[in-house]
Amino acid sequence: MPIARSIVSVKKCVFAGGLLVAALSPCIANAALGEPEASVQTDVTELRGSIKTTEHTYYRVHAIQLPSGTVVREFVGADGKVFAVAWNGPTMPNLRQTLGQYFDPYVAAAKDNHAGHHQLHFEQDDLIVQSSGHMRAFSGRAYLAQALPSGVSEGELH
Amino acid sequence: MSTVGLAEPVRAWRVGICAVLCLAAMSCGDSNTSKGVTNPSASNVVSVVVDAGPTSTSPDVNTLFTTVTVCVPGNTTTCQTIDHIQVDTASYGLRILAPVLTLSLPVQTVGNGESLVECTQFVDGYSWGPVATADVQIGGEAAASVPIQVIGATNFLSLVPANCSSIGPAEDTVAAFGANGVLGVGVFAQDCGAGCVNSAANGFYYACTSTQCTGTTLVLASQVPNPVTLFAKDNNGVIIQLPTVAAGGAATVTGSLFFGVDTQTNNKSGSQAVLNVDPTQGYLTTMFNGMTLTQSFLDTGSNGLYFNDSSITACTSSNFTGFYCPASTLNFTATLQGVNGVSANASFSVDDAQNLGAGLAAFATLAGTFPSDPATFDWGLPFYYGRTVYTVIESAVTSVGMGPYVAF
Repeated sequence: MPIARSIVSVKKCVFAGGLLVAALSPCIANAALGEPEASVQTDVTELRGSIKTTEHTYYRVHAIQLPSGTVVREFVGADGKVFAVAWNGPTMPNLRQTLGQYFDPYVAAAKDNHAGHHQLHFEQDDLIVQSSGHMRAFSGRAYLAQALPSGVSEGELH
Repeated sequence: MSTVGLAEPVRAWRVGICAVLCLAAMSCGDSNTSKGVTNPSASNVVSVVVDAGPTSTSPDVNTLFTTVTVCVPGNTTTCQTIDHIQVDTASYGLRILAPVLTLSLPVQTVGNGESLVECTQFVDGYSWGPVATADVQIGGEAAASVPIQVIGATNFLSLVPANCSSIGPAEDTVAAFGANGVLGVGVFAQDCGAGCVNSAANGFYYACTSTQCTGTTLVLASQVPNPVTLFAKDNNGVIIQLPTVAAGGAATVTGSLFFGVDTQTNNKSGSQAVLNVDPTQGYLTTMFNGMTLTQSFLDTGSNGLYFNDSSITACTSSNFTGFYCPASTLNFTATLQGVNGVSANASFSVDDAQNLGAGLAAFATLAGTFPSDPATFDWGLPFYYGRTVYTVIESAVTSVGMGPYVAF
């Protein structure tokens, strides 16, 4: 249930914050990519969105509707972890929130985008980020190539 | 090792201490840095060029530039002419990189005198900087007190809100940006539009004190506009005309950017198909390979044709990830259709991205995948080679229709 997930997520966050980074940062609820499904609810809260969940054969999709109109879709496999995040809409989503632990390495390595400001194709280790579009019309996705459930193709992740 | 797009050497940083200080301090006087672009004779047309861009150590590919003059509002002598401003038909507004700006331009204020600062979103990062006002001249056209963004002005850099920096890397240097600025002349009149009038959490605009920034609503008239809309005449859209590019590519391509449609003898509508685009996000539809791609768009700011076709050999070199590398040139035809039902065919070719020769900047056959959205065909700058393409702004009227539309 969404409410239960939310509570679990908050506890985890408080614990981690108190133990490791209490003095360094506010409790940033690390979410989504590579994290347990419970983190999806954290994203909903942090992004101030509303959520709709749909079941597919090999995975579950949580679609988070943001106030800006952008929709963020988080893909959860049978192992209960988020293996992909996709977005589509008039604004870019908060990737620090949705990429979680993968955001800082992404930013550090993504600065040399040579395909212009309207196309990005990024690969580093297991992480693939593809982001496209232009002002008022963005789409993109980030996924963990090794974590794709058996039977799922990259083309489904949008 | 990360890989994105075309192989390039590491980009050099261009440092401009004066520029960023000037923004908040006194005027640094006049300057004129124009080079390479000459103004054609008619007042409503300016030259555009595809070349390696402003930083020779990091050459651009398929990037369209023009030259813009900005002046301190009301001051016809304190001006700066800046070359290598990218012409972008899929963004809206004039943005200049602070390191190249030597003028002191007044920053717009909101509310109780807070500075208006903008977070411009790109697919590969963000550009943060204040909204200043300038008198803008492009070719023979002029507009007074235009809100423009000054990207990377240092006096606001420490205040980047988390919601802005959480998009990705900062793009606030010429090296990171690949241009001295961008001139957004697409189909919309403002960069944000109604969304920023109604919601303070719009992600675009912030009211900043000296210590913090808070999201703010902003009326349309204060938003960064497509500057064409503020010209006294020739203000309903633009026409971009570029020659064909030879199969092997070209080091330089020179064309014309006309202002206005059906306002002068040189910008008449002809028999082109008029394709209205959707009034929210600017999409039209492309029919290709039996697919109906409803989120397609024309975009001089994309340096290739980006679409999905699994039958085309993908590049395997890590330097060309995401691009196509067929063994020989492939020829295709697609049909573009507006939301008004009008359609037109477009032929295009795709060649091995790795064949792009050193020292060349224009390639008509550069193409790659658009993996994030299977419903998109991104008609980048190669589409514009050998064509005359009309871009008409929302609600603006011409002899053949009302914007937002594109015609070719």
